[in-house]
Amino acid sequence: MLTGMLTALDERGPDSAGVAIYGRGLTVTKDVGHAVDVCRKFGIAEAHGYQGIGHTRMATESAVTTKHCHPFVPADGVCVVHNGSFSNHATIRRELRRQGVEFDSDNDSEVAARYLALRLDDGDDLRQALLAMAKTMDGFYTLLVTTPGEFAVARDPIACKPAVIAQTPGYVAMASEYRALTGLPGIEAATVFEPMGVHTWTR
Amino acid sequence: MDPLVQLDASRLTTREINTRLRGLPDGANVVITEPRGRHNLAVGLTRQLAITIDGNVGYYVGGLGDGPVITVHGFTGWGVGENLMSGVIRVKGSVSQSAAASAHGGLVIVEGDASLRAGISLKGASIAIAGDAGPLTGFMSQAGVILIGGNAGEALGDSLYETTIYVAGDIASLGADARITELTEDDVTAVKQLCDQAGFDHISPQDVTKVTSARELYHFTAHASAY
Repeated sequence: MLTGMLTALDERGPDSAGVAIYGRGLTVTKDVGHAVDVCRKFGIAEAHGYQGIGHTRMATESAVTTKHCHPFVPADGVCVVHNGSFSNHATIRRELRRQGVEFDSDNDSEVAARYLALRLDDGDDLRQALLAMAKTMDGFYTLLVTTPGEFAVARDPIACKPAVIAQTPGYVAMASEYRALTGLPGIEAATVFEPMGVHTWTR
Repeated sequence: MDPLVQLDASRLTTREINTRLRGLPDGANVVITEPRGRHNLAVGLTRQLAITIDGNVGYYVGGLGDGPVITVHGFTGWGVGENLMSGVIRVKGSVSQSAAASAHGGLVIVEGDASLRAGISLKGASIAIAGDAGPLTGFMSQAGVILIGGNAGEALGDSLYETTIYVAGDIASLGADARITELTEDDVTAVKQLCDQAGFDHISPQDVTKVTSARELYHFTAHASAY
């Protein structure tokens, strides 16, 4: 399903792609290049799990390397993908570094990921962490965050970046565009809506 | 009635569909099936076509249109009827952001709800939304009419110029330079005509709230005494 969804949105992010699959543990695969090629190269279509997250990247503010690919994994079991741009990421990165947080890249999305991990480590639940991030980080964002038992979608207050949710009795799916969801089973009967603010789902 | 032209989007590229549509004469009836969220369907058409789209579509459906009457049996993505010049687009479901953005003429009818920024930079078209409208509806809109049958989100009409906005339900908040003004007999007539055209029977034209520009952003006022 993830391969189909990512392939549908390949043109949104031709620079790199990444996939995280929660099954027996968490497997994260990412590489530069088109999503369709990355999925083929790593056999993503054959992978199994109960929860998956994928991303195609069009780089705007930092380099196209595997380290800059989403999903970011700032803590065990936590995955973050981001569409948008944070304007104060350098400031927040400096503050987090002072608190001992280490970074893998100069990517703005990684700052949000590390910030969220820090809040989760401090005892916040996913919703609290995302609400705190909304107050701290300035910019445009649609974020998808997953943990082994939960996933969340968060958007900036004026919803600059797209997000579509499809809910059925069997699954919840999220994508930037509806056309990524049209291949999912039972999509015709799904409840489809655009989320605002923070939404969380627990397994 | 002219014979029905059927286009199966699952077997045609967007360019093939739009090329076929451009080749049809005035009065042609078309149905597009299996759109599956496809972007840019039925854009840039200048003839009097009747187009039915049987399903949910993506971005910019009917954009730049100058004549066709388009009915979408489903929901749409961003920018339905963007820069519309004339004609009618009716969406049976809800629409995503920036509906009728920058539209100069024609009418966009939304039978469901509209997301943020419907009518952004509107330049003369009419928008009739049966349900609720999201934040920043009518943002920087310059001319035309926006009718909201349900509730309006925050910052309604922010920085608007000469667009008139009518709201049947509640307004979460007005945007900068937007103000509530008195409803005249002409307004009631205009709302009634728009409701009739849209087929809305849940709005009392004499009970809507009218929002227009306070025109206080038209000129610089800061430091005026210094000159």
